[in-house]
Amino acid sequence: MSSTPQKSQSDKNKITRRTAMLGAGGVGVFGVLAARLYQLQVLQAEDYRALSENNRFNFNMLLPERGEIRDRFGLPLAKNRQNFRLVMIPERTPEVEKTLDRVAQISPLSDRQRERIRRDIRQNPKFVPILVKDNMDWTTFSALNMRLHDLPGIVSEAGQGRAYPENGVFSHVLGYIGRAGDKDIEVDDDPLLRQPTFRIGKTGVEASQEKTLRGSSGKLKVEVNARGRIVREWPDPKTRAESGKDVWLTLDAGLQEFAAKQFATEDEGDDSGGICVIDVITGELRTMLSMPTFDANLFVSGLTQTDMDKLNNDPKRPQYNKAIAGGYPPASTFKMVVMLAALESRLIDPADPVFCGGKIRLGNRNFHCWKRQGHGKMDMRDALKNSCDTYFYDISQVVGIEAIADVARRLGLGEKYQIGVGGGISGIVPTAKWKQDRLGTGWRMGDTLNASIGQGFVLSTPLQLAVMAARIANAQEAVMPQLIIGEEMQNFDALDFDPRHLAYVRDAMWAVTSEQGGTAYRHRPFAEGIGLDTIQMAGKTGTGQVRGISTSERATGIRKNSKLPWKLRDHSIFVGYAPFDRPRFAVGTIVEHGGAGSKRAANITRAVLGEALRRDGIGSTGANEQGALK
Amino acid sequence: MAFQSPSFRGSRSTSGGSLTTKLFEVNWLLMTLVGLVGLVGVAMIFAATDGVWQRGAFQHLTRIAFGGVVMLGVAMIDIRLWYRLAYPIYVLGVILLVGVEFVGVEVNGSARWLDFGVARLQPSEIMKPAIVLALARYYHDLPDWKVSDVWGLMGALILLVVPMALIFRQPDLGTTLLLAATGVAIVFLAGISWRVISLASVFAAVSISLFFKFGLKAYQQERILTFLDPSRDPAGASYHITQSKIALGSGGVHGKGFMKGTQRQGEYVPENRTDFIFTVIGEEFGLIGGLMTLGLYMSVITVCIWLSLQCKEMFSKLMILGLTTTFTLYIFINLGMVMGLAPVVGVPLPLISYGGTVILAVMGGFGLILSAHLHRGVELPRTT
Repeated sequence: MSSTPQKSQSDKNKITRRTAMLGAGGVGVFGVLAARLYQLQVLQAEDYRALSENNRFNFNMLLPERGEIRDRFGLPLAKNRQNFRLVMIPERTPEVEKTLDRVAQISPLSDRQRERIRRDIRQNPKFVPILVKDNMDWTTFSALNMRLHDLPGIVSEAGQGRAYPENGVFSHVLGYIGRAGDKDIEVDDDPLLRQPTFRIGKTGVEASQEKTLRGSSGKLKVEVNARGRIVREWPDPKTRAESGKDVWLTLDAGLQEFAAKQFATEDEGDDSGGICVIDVITGELRTMLSMPTFDANLFVSGLTQTDMDKLNNDPKRPQYNKAIAGGYPPASTFKMVVMLAALESRLIDPADPVFCGGKIRLGNRNFHCWKRQGHGKMDMRDALKNSCDTYFYDISQVVGIEAIADVARRLGLGEKYQIGVGGGISGIVPTAKWKQDRLGTGWRMGDTLNASIGQGFVLSTPLQLAVMAARIANAQEAVMPQLIIGEEMQNFDALDFDPRHLAYVRDAMWAVTSEQGGTAYRHRPFAEGIGLDTIQMAGKTGTGQVRGISTSERATGIRKNSKLPWKLRDHSIFVGYAPFDRPRFAVGTIVEHGGAGSKRAANITRAVLGEALRRDGIGSTGANEQGALK
Repeated sequence: MAFQSPSFRGSRSTSGGSLTTKLFEVNWLLMTLVGLVGLVGVAMIFAATDGVWQRGAFQHLTRIAFGGVVMLGVAMIDIRLWYRLAYPIYVLGVILLVGVEFVGVEVNGSARWLDFGVARLQPSEIMKPAIVLALARYYHDLPDWKVSDVWGLMGALILLVVPMALIFRQPDLGTTLLLAATGVAIVFLAGISWRVISLASVFAAVSISLFFKFGLKAYQQERILTFLDPSRDPAGASYHITQSKIALGSGGVHGKGFMKGTQRQGEYVPENRTDFIFTVIGEEFGLIGGLMTLGLYMSVITVCIWLSLQCKEMFSKLMILGLTTTFTLYIFINLGMVMGLAPVVGVPLPLISYGGTVILAVMGGFGLILSAHLHRGVELPRTT
């Protein structure tokens, strides 16, 4: 250890010099910092103030409450219920996957759900709330609420959900709601549609009455913190969301349900088919039902693949609205059309008899009557009552397909009705031109013969058949079906048939159900009317062939429907109205593969018509008076 | 002449006076300024914690008060003792850092703490004054002609690199850089020749780029890259910077008023009680508050430099300037980060940010400065 002399004076100066240099550098850096502060807080202050406001305030869109759909008596068919759900605001969630993991610990998330959440996050701006899970039960929901502090960006809310309480029988009419798709957003620029938690009508009345049901969005200015939690709500500006308006249907829920019950079978579940009950005077539909039904609530909560497969693979096609979209050969119910066309053409005298020997020969082809041994001599009234095919083969050759088609249209066949439930079809009323356009081949007389018994190219829906029956019953006006109350009522066009001709047809239809030998009379219930004293119905059976009948079958006579596989059995069809003398309701019923029209469809129609009248107070008045007398 | 006896020079300079005399001779201007900065910290922590006294402001006040006592205590101790303790303190610091390596407590992915049961200690904070002491003594003892010589430089480098490496492994990039910069400043002040400086600069440029590529963890690289190009990841790593700038900018000239910062209330700026506390100042007191804070810091630094100029001994001068450099770098790095001029490295704003060890280390450092100034008349030995 040794000590050296003090550092020299030059060193002292050197360190002072260097201190000054460092000091100057320090001042420089302080200058830079001050300048930066000036830049941020003076020059760019406005921008940052705006950004700060952006941070601070969110304009939360207030979603309107969707209007309810009710039946004619106000019973809710589609209503709103509390839907406990979680949404995520991605910009406030630093670690999406981790947060989802934590949610999944309490309420499981499937891979599919997660994939959807990720997709939603990708496709939306970061501030839009993304649905994580909805329709949660209260226990799970409250458990998640307890953990919210661990779940940044997750917000719990009790939103609106849709419920269809009436057991599925209105599923086809109501349709269901769902997320707005890209196509919906393309045609509708309502910002509500971009809200991932918002639902719009996808099918049925939910879709057609969307504008009425939706309402309009409101706005709420809220101050939020970095985790998206609302610090406070600002009263101004606040616009309330305007709730959607209720839509009332002409349907009668009680009758609809009654009708659905009639389709039940003992051993094969619900029969497949459709039925429409229409007010003969106003055109209001009291029932519009497609069977079997499905639970529309499943579509709201998100269908599982199993549910979906089950629906899609069911041979009875529950999702398909057979009442307006099912095209069936009207079969013998079409005979009223041919009859009326014949009368209107004045080429046929209804009293002129035609001999039915069981078949008619045209060219080298036999056209068979359903009754192999033949009906014998038939005039027009008997022909309808007995549903004699030969008679109609015969007169249709005189009347011609064009006249038949014209009457069919005027009676309401071949028309797609805009009743507010999408997906209807127009069916087919064939003409020579139609065949040429459609198939490129010329019309043959054989086609006319097939059409004359409602087979061949003719296709109609239960709704069209009901309208046809209603117009025949109304006699004055071309009744149009109506489903939604409050839609502008148009005056119906005049029907413009000779009233005497219509009266003749109605009388023949009465004979079908009420006279010995009528095709619907043979079945016991009709001997007793429709279950109401003094009230009679008129109607017509139809048996729609699903397949050709082979010669051997014809020879052996083995045509028992019950022996055939379900898919090959005939469609059972019935149209009718009641009361016969003061028509009130008309019905068109089709039971797919239900066998002869005189059986399944006739029974259902009879019961439903009776119930419709009872619910309308017809026939019960007397009973009430009796009760009062007691 | 191993140890020179103290000599008295000038009428006011003293080192051997009684405790009361010494207390009077302490530079009270620096004491006051440091205390003021500390009080700014108390107020801002109070605001940052939504006015909940117990969530930091009270602790901060206690620490400042305790720190003031420590500062005075350190100042009273004879500079010769500090001179003698320079290397032992340095060695202790290194040992504690090694301890962190093995039994460190991990917080937010880096092990920086030693848990002594009653208190947690951050050895890297102790290392900051320790490295200054060690280097000051090293250059005090080093003959002039060796300052720019390879061996002379080597010694300084070894003193510097050992703690740097240990701190870097924690990992704590901010403190590592701070240590490096402080060391470089002392070497510079010690009078190293410009030739060496220019050579070293070239070498540093090359090694820094290599270091960035291979020596940094992914998140550290990401932070720096994000800083250089904030659009890389607007929601992720640069969220801090963006929100911090919004807080500052929206404060404007006058600020939103004490306790009225909306960015703060909304908890948009993370860590605003600690590293990002300047955002609270800027948001609630605006440009005026920000510049006043800068001014306060500058006065502290100016006073320190002024004190260093009054010292005669190399050890005292280098120690004061080294500690001042550390303090200044704290401010630069922190404010640069908060204002979006430097990457987010996690360096507190000295005396204002919440955090115990830092306050003790910084105020202990100021105690050393005061001691050096108080004992400026004392002659120090030179050991070579």
